[in-house]
Amino acid sequence: MVDMTTRFFEDLDRRGFEPLLVKTSGTLRFDLHEGAQTTHWLLEIDRGNLRVRQEDGEADTVVGTEPRLFAELVGGEENAIAALLRGDMTVVGDLRLVLQVERVFPGPPNSRGPHHTFQRRAA
Amino acid sequence: MPGTNTVRILDGNTFVVSEDTGDIEATPSEPTGLFSLDTRYLSKWVLTVNGERLNALSYDDLQYYEARFFLVPGMATHYVDAKLSIIRERAVGGSFRETLTILNHDEKPVDLEIRMDAGSDFADLFQVKDEILNKKGELYSEAESDRLRLGYRRGNFKRETVVSANQPARYDRKGFAWSIHLEPNEQWDVLIDVQTFAIGPGGRDLRMGLRAHGTERLALQHDLEEWIDRAPKVNSEHGRVAATYRRSLVDLAALRFSPLSLGGQTLPAAGLPWFMTMFGRDSILTCLQVLPFAPEMSKTTLRILAALQGTRFDDFRDEDPGRILHEMRYGETAAFEEQPHSPYYGSVDATPLFVVLLDEYEKWSGDVALVRELERECRAALKWIDDYADLIGNGYIWYERRNTDTGLENQCWKDSWDSISYADGTLPPFPRASCEVQGYAYDAKMRAARMAREFWGDPAYADQLEREAAELKARFNRDWWVSDGGFYALALDPEGRQCDVLSSNIGHLLWSGIVDDERAPMIAKHLVGPRLWSGWGVRTLAEGEVRYNPIGYHNGTIWPFDNSFVAWGLRRYGFAEEAATVANGILDAATYFDGRLPEAFGGYQRDLTKFPVEYPTACSPQAWSTGAPLLLIRTMLGLEPHEGHLAVDPRLPVGMGRIEVLDIPGRWGRVDAFARGRLDLHKLGD
Repeated sequence: MVDMTTRFFEDLDRRGFEPLLVKTSGTLRFDLHEGAQTTHWLLEIDRGNLRVRQEDGEADTVVGTEPRLFAELVGGEENAIAALLRGDMTVVGDLRLVLQVERVFPGPPNSRGPHHTFQRRAA
Repeated sequence: MPGTNTVRILDGNTFVVSEDTGDIEATPSEPTGLFSLDTRYLSKWVLTVNGERLNALSYDDLQYYEARFFLVPGMATHYVDAKLSIIRERAVGGSFRETLTILNHDEKPVDLEIRMDAGSDFADLFQVKDEILNKKGELYSEAESDRLRLGYRRGNFKRETVVSANQPARYDRKGFAWSIHLEPNEQWDVLIDVQTFAIGPGGRDLRMGLRAHGTERLALQHDLEEWIDRAPKVNSEHGRVAATYRRSLVDLAALRFSPLSLGGQTLPAAGLPWFMTMFGRDSILTCLQVLPFAPEMSKTTLRILAALQGTRFDDFRDEDPGRILHEMRYGETAAFEEQPHSPYYGSVDATPLFVVLLDEYEKWSGDVALVRELERECRAALKWIDDYADLIGNGYIWYERRNTDTGLENQCWKDSWDSISYADGTLPPFPRASCEVQGYAYDAKMRAARMAREFWGDPAYADQLEREAAELKARFNRDWWVSDGGFYALALDPEGRQCDVLSSNIGHLLWSGIVDDERAPMIAKHLVGPRLWSGWGVRTLAEGEVRYNPIGYHNGTIWPFDNSFVAWGLRRYGFAEEAATVANGILDAATYFDGRLPEAFGGYQRDLTKFPVEYPTACSPQAWSTGAPLLLIRTMLGLEPHEGHLAVDPRLPVGMGRIEVLDIPGRWGRVDAFARGRLDLHKLGD
């Protein structure tokens, strides 16, 4: 079974373009540390065009987390900005890149949004 | 809130609130301390000489980032034996630095034990007014040979205060001390440096490389001089308006704040001391107020708010796609999601106001590039208005928080729990829709239509927006008009029932242009009529309403920011005299606060109190109060960008004398505006 993180990056790579990132250019590396082992994902953004490689390359921004937290971030269960403030996610380099990419992460799976609140009431 | 004898200095979101001796002894009722990133880094900072506390002879807050205290040993009740004087000079700017100078005025030498007690509770700003009994993490204190390290650890969350000095001291876990010998007329100095750290697991500070300007004292001074130099000059015949303007300009400089994500650029934070952070509503409204004087703030504010615009549904943060944020915080409660400010999106006005600011900014600056750059975000904001904010499906912006634990109940500017009521005083159920927000939505659509037509090359979208705006205006004038009162209701409840109280919000409706022309005279009359007008300003809620209270936070006090938009609205509909009346009242009030308008002051009748009564817990300086005199000057002078030029159409009251504003920046380069008081306000209401 493919884990959340792999699915997230493969999906980005397949899409190849993300409108939310049209004003963003730069390279981010995600270092997912588990014990002595680190998995690397390299995300290149060129005005919204995306390219993903699973390698340890040069990057403008390096993000470090545990693999489990990262899976929760890309699954929407955890929030990246809170994780950053908490020190559970570290950033070296240009923080703005992380804040832009973070917006691509989904919301919490149990969040229903505004319409639902009202429709429930009306029903 | 701290008492009036507290001294505050700040730089960005680092600030120090202390007693008039410079000491810090934080309690829930005296929330003093050194704060940074919404965290208290020092809650104890007490200087003693030979075990004795010191007494303040005087203090100066020299600039917003520095203060000086002149002290002598012994408490105020004692005979002051001035054989010894102690001067504390302090500044914030990145770190907190304090210079102690001790002078021996005696003919004999003295031996002194100088001690500073230092400690920190690392309280989150949201906790400073509570007894901190149950911090979930661990506090520690480590005395090293050359420094004292105070820290707090909760998981990977780590905040540290490191204190060191340029004279070797004896450090212990509760402070540090020197034993010194001073000959007659000898002087001793020490420089103490307090560094604050927000450390991630890699040992790296969250804030590295994020300074707007150098943090050395000289750099701060240079930056302030440059800021004042760049802004237009205001001269006034009586000096009063000019003095208020200058005070506002310096306070605005102090309130500039560089968020973590902006790479050193600044936008206005909401206010000192408790709101030194990014607020969507406050930052946008302040930018609108100061556009003729400091247009660059609008550009950075629009960019940062665009960069953090909502993209998904997050019920905890009340986030939706296209929604503009309400408030960002950096403290422990945000980090551990005990509060939703990472960021929190629960406001309904910031989103339409974002569009309004972009258009207004372009009219002044001619910065078409930014209008093109933010097209996507504007469209997303407009989509939010139609798709996500219309909870009832009847064409209005509604609010009902999804975060029922820590979210905001009232998501309009009057955000206290009892600010929205029916005429009988009861509170309506949710969702609620407040009137001024519908005006903002109307204005946003009209302004976006202009941008779509002129800059986005989308005339069809422009037509659609104008059609929607016209429909909204017709609908609004039908559903919100309180016919027996001759004003617009404050809000609607989900059944469409009116909250039929008379409030200052109707002035914002004039500003937005949603008021039918034939109704505008009635609105103007109310605004300067006896129920809303106190003589100093327009009350948030009219006298005679059940919930009216002259010191009710949003139910009767006077907010200078509110009044500045009311005045702008009056001017928009051609009520220049009424606008001048409002401007005159608020600028008169400003002189009682040395040019620094508070967040709010009492709604008492002017001839009853003779001076404006400050609201007890008001924050000061506060950005949109600081911006109010600037917008009032704009309004009185009738400054309006018009087809690439700056139109000037002054309407000043007689007593105001001559006012000149020099070097107003914009697409026209720099131009001057002159005005002379000619309006006799006493004729008003005849």
